[in-house]
Amino acid sequence: MVRLSKWLLKEAGTGVNKTLSDILVCPLSKQALRVCEEPPSLISDSIGVSFPIKDGIPCLVPTDGKILDTDDTMKHDNAADDSANNK
Amino acid sequence: MRSLQFSVPLLPTSRFKRHSVRCASDRQQLFNRIAPVYDNLNDLLSLGQHRIWKRMAVSWSGAKTGDSLLDLCCGSGDLTFLMSEKAGADGKVIGLDFSKEQLSIASSRQYLLSKACYNNIEWVEGDALDLPFSNGYFDAITMGYGLRNVVDKRRAMQEMFRVLKPGSRVSILDFNKSMQPFTALFQEWMIDNVVVPTATVYGLAKEYQYLKTSIDEFLTGKELEKLALDAGFSYARHYEIGGGLMGNLVAAR
Repeated sequence: MVRLSKWLLKEAGTGVNKTLSDILVCPLSKQALRVCEEPPSLISDSIGVSFPIKDGIPCLVPTDGKILDTDDTMKHDNAADDSANNK
Repeated sequence: MRSLQFSVPLLPTSRFKRHSVRCASDRQQLFNRIAPVYDNLNDLLSLGQHRIWKRMAVSWSGAKTGDSLLDLCCGSGDLTFLMSEKAGADGKVIGLDFSKEQLSIASSRQYLLSKACYNNIEWVEGDALDLPFSNGYFDAITMGYGLRNVVDKRRAMQEMFRVLKPGSRVSILDFNKSMQPFTALFQEWMIDNVVVPTATVYGLAKEYQYLKTSIDEFLTGKELEKLALDAGFSYARHYEIGGGLMGNLVAAR
């Protein structure tokens, strides 16, 4: 039952488990990745690239990466500022 | 969002071959195409022997309970599952491959197989030339029938060296490029008269003809040992197994 749940969660593309996201780094900069829930992806802030997670499998081949537009990085910065101000 | 496109390197710089050049993208597509029949063909073509060779490769890696392990070019996961059994519930195994189709099969096998310890496996789509892991993370690495297919073997060795903990080992199983004329001839005969005709039945003649080219372009045991030592490994030894048809490179950081 546990196995099935885990498999279903992965199939639902709800992301990758925390242990794995702690292990993985950006394939290019070798810096830490940030988990994004929607769309499920891993963000390399060091180079401004997003790597997709498909069916629970992180796609970290360099050519899988998409360069983030400035808007996307600004949204993240604003969200980070808001949470800092609320503390 | 813009795609991140990098120019894909062609074959290693030293060679101009009479046969067609295959870039990483071609190889990725090849392994995607053969994915559905890959396991069956391995069994058929090696008469089940590949299972023994893979167990030997895992033993040589030094993998043990509780370890953090990496299986590179994991394909449908044969070596990954063996590594998982070694690592146990307290260990962790990452199976990495650049073929989505192979990983999909590996992931399905993980679900269908009954052993609870296989829960310690995670699948990652990645490139052996740009590993998404930090330095010195893994206690052991295996690579089965993968090194021959990477377009830059030197870089692959350097990446393996980088992500290994000091004192740990990499175990690389592959076809042996034999210096013995009889063995080389027999290997070629087997590919021409057994492997390719069998693959033809599955509609994959061209894909398995690639095998002969890739062995021809591969390195001998001695050359592989040198490749490992040049990458920084302190120890490297190539063992011939399967009557000299296969070889396993063991290198220690």
